Amino acid sequence: MLEIKNLHANVGGREILKGLDLTLPTGEVHAIMGPNGSGKSTLAYVLAGKEDYEVTDGSITWNGTDLLALDPSERAATGVFLAFQYPMEIPGVATMTFLRSAVNAVRKARDEEELSTPDFMRVVKEKAKGLKIDAEMLRRPLNVGFSGGEKKRNEILQMTLLEPSLCVLDETDSGLDIDALRIVADGVNALRSKERSMLVITHYQRLLDYIVPDRVHVMSNGRVARSGGPELALELEKSGYAEFGGEATAA
Amino acid sequence: MDLSVQQFRSKAEQDYFDLYTKAAKALPGAGNPFVAALREDAIKAYGRLGLPHRRVEAWKYTDLRSRIDEVHPLIAVLGAEVSDAALDRALGQAIAAFPAYRLVIAEGELRVDLSDMSALRAAGVEIASLAHVLEMPPEWLKAKLGQVNPREDDAVLALNTALMTGGVALRLPEGVNLDKPIHLIQLDGTGAPASIFNRNVIVAEEGASATILESYGSLGVTGLQRNAVTEVRVGDKASIHHIKLQREAADALHLGVWLVSLGADARYNAFQLSLGAALARNQVYVGFDGEGSSADVSGACLARDRQHCDTTLVVEHRVPSCASRELFKLVLDDEARGIFQGKVVVAPDAQKSDGKQMAQALLLSETAEFDSKPELEIFADDVVCGHGATSGQIDEDLLFYLESRGLPEPEARAMLIQAFVGEAFEVVDNEVLREAFNAASAAWLGVQAD
Repeated sequence: MLEIKNLHANVGGREILKGLDLTLPTGEVHAIMGPNGSGKSTLAYVLAGKEDYEVTDGSITWNGTDLLALDPSERAATGVFLAFQYPMEIPGVATMTFLRSAVNAVRKARDEEELSTPDFMRVVKEKAKGLKIDAEMLRRPLNVGFSGGEKKRNEILQMTLLEPSLCVLDETDSGLDIDALRIVADGVNALRSKERSMLVITHYQRLLDYIVPDRVHVMSNGRVARSGGPELALELEKSGYAEFGGEATAA
Repeated sequence: MDLSVQQFRSKAEQDYFDLYTKAAKALPGAGNPFVAALREDAIKAYGRLGLPHRRVEAWKYTDLRSRIDEVHPLIAVLGAEVSDAALDRALGQAIAAFPAYRLVIAEGELRVDLSDMSALRAAGVEIASLAHVLEMPPEWLKAKLGQVNPREDDAVLALNTALMTGGVALRLPEGVNLDKPIHLIQLDGTGAPASIFNRNVIVAEEGASATILESYGSLGVTGLQRNAVTEVRVGDKASIHHIKLQREAADALHLGVWLVSLGADARYNAFQLSLGAALARNQVYVGFDGEGSSADVSGACLARDRQHCDTTLVVEHRVPSCASRELFKLVLDDEARGIFQGKVVVAPDAQKSDGKQMAQALLLSETAEFDSKPELEIFADDVVCGHGATSGQIDEDLLFYLESRGLPEPEARAMLIQAFVGEAFEVVDNEVLREAFNAASAAWLGVQAD
């Protein structure tokens, strides 16, 4: 279970999260919605431990572990995974090399045996196929020259391989056409399980047609302003974020 | 007001003269008028130039006059012990085991017992110890020695010509294509602090091709002062891959000069990886003397502590339709200093020249320094030339991305640094070497090679 209590966080000296409370039980999928600037992505980065996101008050515990005491790689080993809104391009690092290093680093930290190269290749190829990622893409430098859709599929591939227990998806739907969205959503849905919790951050309701959440939280001005069932997302689609301090409609 | 008065001679400056004066009669080829005249002219040129210092533009970042306090004597250690283990230590296992025709030059002596002379000869290559052939140089050598893309203004080169002792003279006759690379291993540091003047002359005649790796290592830590010059003539339609690995002891002085001249439709691919020495200056002079040729001169330098690594290039497009590419990557930690000076000269009638140059430094500490001085001298109007230089730190966003995937910070950092230098290694055609360089950079970073 993820428990966030009274979370305050600054970015560049400006307070973005202003006393956020959130509980995400194990095995559930919760959506975080809200207008631009409400602090959705900041929450994602704070969960993953980005350095320049300074937590000034409050706590985050994951299955009883104080996440704020861990550095980003330790959080990954504990089971936290952030699917980035804008995955980084790293020239000079082959995607396959990166995947193997990441998987083995996490396995090592979890006291599991490192995978042999043939075993690893087999697993990657199998998982990649479901996400329509071909071998040629895996040979390319990490995310370099990837289309928006390819980058997001690559994020989901990483998520699948690292077997996290807490998945945070930051605007995974941004920049995706409907076909790519479906592939990504299928990939995410395949990972839903009793042991795994997911926090799906999105500006639009569209993604939630494919990844149906157990709960929806609406963020406004650095806190959760309202929570409800999946129907809340549909309501927002009609009314927009106006009452939450946003201008644009959610649709 | 120009007062070109030789004000004084520093101790080191005088030491070099004394070295020559004392050794002149015993230097290889002393009895040969051609060689003796070459040496005399060179020491006179050195006398005019003196040791380069910071007011000489090409040496403004590397002041040899202030950096060299005294000059070590010439020492000939004959039959120095070179065990496999020592070779592994000096060059790293991957390079020591590099499958190639091996030529070992230890303490300036070409070690026939450790070299694949007969196999090379069987492959059609003319190969001899330079010291040996200087006694009676063959015509082909007389035509090239000191005459491949010569420089009048280089004191390091002049000193080398005056004092050259060890090295090889190597000729690839017309059309010879070697099935494996040649590995020229230059090892020193078995005895007391010494000065070493290596000189290699490599001539690839029309249509010949080969990969030549020069590796420089230390057998011990003894304050080596190395001056190494390699002349490479790439004949018409010939192709040479020329690679250098320098991983000398931390207290070594390494002054390296490559002089390269290309004929028509020739190809020259050079790469230098500089890891060792307290002060390393790598000078590469490339001249295009025939149309339709191309040269790629790239390299990487990894330096830490107070290491000083200077790469100085001059590429001269003297004839039309040639292409040159340079990519240098520097990784600088602690108080290390990296220098890149790259000059591209395009002569008035060298139309359709294509020259591109890039130098990039990654600074791992606040106190590391990178100085870059690109120069374009273009006298033709129909050319494509460009240069660029960047200097930066590790991108924190990339670092976070890798860490968020479970890579602990030191590993994530190492991965990014390796990716940065790895781009320069791409120039190296030979896969085994490329892997060896990746392993060398991993070792430098203290991580396991992938």
